[in-house]
Amino acid sequence: MTLVAATPTVPVFEVTQPAGLKFVLENSPTAQKHLIETMPGGVALFDYNNDGLLDIFLVNGGRITSPLPARDDFDRHDPRYWNRLFRQNKDGSFTDVTEQAGLANAGDGNYGMGVAVGDYDNDGYPDLYVTNYGKNILYHNNGDGTFTDVTAKAGVAGGGWSVSAGFFDYDNDGKLDLFVTRYMDWDTRRSKDCGGNFHTYCPPEEFPATTNILYHNNGDGTFTDVSQRSGIAAKKGRALGVAFADYDGDGFTDIFVSNDGMQQYLYHNNGNGTFSEVALEAGTALSEDGRRMSGMGVVFQDYDNDGRPDIMVTELPREIYSVYHNDGGGFFSYHSLDTGLGMLSSGSSGWSIGLEDFDNDGWKDLFVAQSHVLDNVDTIDPSLHYRDLPLVAMNRNNRFEKVDSGVTVPMAARGAAFGDLNNDGWEDVVVTVLGDHPQVLMNRGGKLHWLVLSLRGTRSNRDGYGARVQVNGQTRFVTSAVGYLSASDKRLHFGLGTAEKARVEIVWPSGIHQILNDVHADQFLEVREPDKQEPGR
Amino acid sequence: MIPAVILLWFAALSLSPEATQHMQAGIEADKQRQFDVAITEFKKVTELDPSFADGFVSLGQVYMEKHEFSSAVAPLKHALELSPDSPPAHQLMGYALLVEGYAAQAIPHLERVQDKTALGVAEIETGQFADAVVNLQAALAAHPNDPDVLYYLGRASGLLSKQSIDTLLAGYPDSARAHQAMGENYFVLRQMPNAEKEYEDALRLRPDVPEVHLELGQVYAGSFQWDKAEEEFRAQAKLQPGNAEAAYRLGEALLEQGKAKDARTELLRADKLMPDMPETLYSLGKADSLEGDAAAAEKEWTKLLTIEKESPLAAQAHFGLASLYRKQGKTVAAQHEMQEFQRLQTGANALPTPEKQETPHR
Repeated sequence: MTLVAATPTVPVFEVTQPAGLKFVLENSPTAQKHLIETMPGGVALFDYNNDGLLDIFLVNGGRITSPLPARDDFDRHDPRYWNRLFRQNKDGSFTDVTEQAGLANAGDGNYGMGVAVGDYDNDGYPDLYVTNYGKNILYHNNGDGTFTDVTAKAGVAGGGWSVSAGFFDYDNDGKLDLFVTRYMDWDTRRSKDCGGNFHTYCPPEEFPATTNILYHNNGDGTFTDVSQRSGIAAKKGRALGVAFADYDGDGFTDIFVSNDGMQQYLYHNNGNGTFSEVALEAGTALSEDGRRMSGMGVVFQDYDNDGRPDIMVTELPREIYSVYHNDGGGFFSYHSLDTGLGMLSSGSSGWSIGLEDFDNDGWKDLFVAQSHVLDNVDTIDPSLHYRDLPLVAMNRNNRFEKVDSGVTVPMAARGAAFGDLNNDGWEDVVVTVLGDHPQVLMNRGGKLHWLVLSLRGTRSNRDGYGARVQVNGQTRFVTSAVGYLSASDKRLHFGLGTAEKARVEIVWPSGIHQILNDVHADQFLEVREPDKQEPGR
Repeated sequence: MIPAVILLWFAALSLSPEATQHMQAGIEADKQRQFDVAITEFKKVTELDPSFADGFVSLGQVYMEKHEFSSAVAPLKHALELSPDSPPAHQLMGYALLVEGYAAQAIPHLERVQDKTALGVAEIETGQFADAVVNLQAALAAHPNDPDVLYYLGRASGLLSKQSIDTLLAGYPDSARAHQAMGENYFVLRQMPNAEKEYEDALRLRPDVPEVHLELGQVYAGSFQWDKAEEEFRAQAKLQPGNAEAAYRLGEALLEQGKAKDARTELLRADKLMPDMPETLYSLGKADSLEGDAAAAEKEWTKLLTIEKESPLAAQAHFGLASLYRKQGKTVAAQHEMQEFQRLQTGANALPTPEKQETPHR
């Protein structure tokens, strides 16, 4: 792999407003500072109709009545508060297909939060799972441009305040299971504001912790809540983000959950249907100084190309985003300072986060959607800001250097998903913004080479989630769950630098080991899982 | 301010038997806190023997005990006419005038009895802050940890400081020191852009003025501009190579930027200048750890734990040691350190999140 270490002198992204992408994230802030107002909303980049173009799904909040009644329906029947699906057209414009796709009904009493994407029934069409304060909804993709709400049949409504979620196959049975984070035991009857005369959103400790949910996919369109049996529910938390990767190389996907204002959780997959929470022992529970952190978004990918997935967590100002480097042997060490993240993040509040190779130099770079939790923080502490610019930092020999993102107007960003919207081989970003339109950041591109892989599992789950893919020394752990509330393009993007060919090595969740040599650069390649292990492996 | 009972030494040597009787009745009533009865009795004494100064003193004292300070003034004044050197009369008169707001008039009386506390308070009221500080320091030496004295000493010191700064700002508004003072004021108010501007103006006028680089560095550190903070702390360290705080803060700024090697150099220098400061030892351990020198990190954190055993910093050192031992495969030692860390995490010792430490509203 060739390293190209030139720092971009032009902005990485061009901020665009694609035609047809008409959406405002209606979080409905009130003077009463109900905590849910500051927490939405997610975004998914996925190709729902398999036409080769990424479509965009955006989760909306809802209308909050002031004062908040004991049961608020959040007016989700009003089109202003719908979640929206935008189909991408060949010319890069978008068409709102929400109604025709059957996604207009977000559910009475649901205030929207996040979204997960996965083909849970392996029919070749990605399905949607939308989290809410209220009941969550599983939309099955019918393959004809429409979706059906199958929540009741599937048994995955959850309840309470769900936040980030993700599909993954924890038992390697070839069927995607579902993990749902829940923030806290909060409801509209117990809402309150904090901060005395400042009137602010309350810190998480003001409300009781709660459990996350793990659903096992039964393979017949139904799921079983195995939270207790698996050990996931053994610990209560205040979860906001979730990410998946096999950190110890035992062939089973592990889970990292970012918790707000407390220890982070690392659930080690014991391989027998149970999990053990090992964050403290593994070194990912606290900051370097042993402090609890306001964990928000999380990404679980390999930033230093050593083949092992590392963990990055976004937090509030003065906490600095955490970088837990995977040292191997089940242990992590804290590297926020020497990776430069300390300096770049100590004044910012981060939500969604992604590790993507934006300049195609073969090293994953960093993107963080930033904005403070409190919409009046500027008046409380002039050194902090509610609206902020996103952080884009290029990975230069494992040290992150801030570059010009191209975004010039600070915003109240929350969700962010990553993918190649225009199929030019350069990763783009879509960011959700409270009370505003989403920001579509198109990568300006360059001259370096790239490779985009689509995995098609046969023995493994069809999406290939949980596979470990290495390309020219870089490693990605296949997942679409990303950052905070969001789901990225499931295709795997690799920057190749100046290399024109690549060696691709895949370890599928089934255990099958597959190698492709001399793969040409600059192409989109679907890789099908072999039915059996290749000879010699 | 009012002493419980000032011992009267009337002795009744020159009093008539009838006056003596009333005097004793007044004292008894005062003891019983029957102030109106005492006043009646002492008034009788002053009527029966108008030249008996202590009768007036006693009458004044009871008025004061009854919080009728203005009524106390006349009998005390009369007592001082009869007996100009009477310490109780001066002290009570000083108190009465002070309470009534006549601080300037109270001072001569309080000086006569050298009541340092009351004198200091009166001097605060009359704007004699420097004298007030001197007297209140003397009072504090005589009555250590007296909350009233501590309060008034703090107030006097603050007002003296303000008076001095006000004089500076009024007389020399464009001086480096005036800008420095304004910078400090804005810093306390957390108005960092204004503080930054004032400090920069101070340095423009006098690049070598002591402490300004340090203070400006702290402004930058407070707004997370670590590279600029480093620059200022470095300038301070250059101006004052013997300043341990400058070396420590420079080390911290370097550490925040991940420049562990340089941080270590500065933190070692800080430790040499002011040995065994726990904060320095902790940061030094962090720098060592980042540099991969586990033995040095272990040494610093272990040393810290000999100095501080129960503090949040001690908890952090235990946590650091646990991580360090875990990486080295010393499972038992790591578990022990983690247990110590967790023990210190309970109750009041729990380490708050940095955000909550700094910003109470989340």
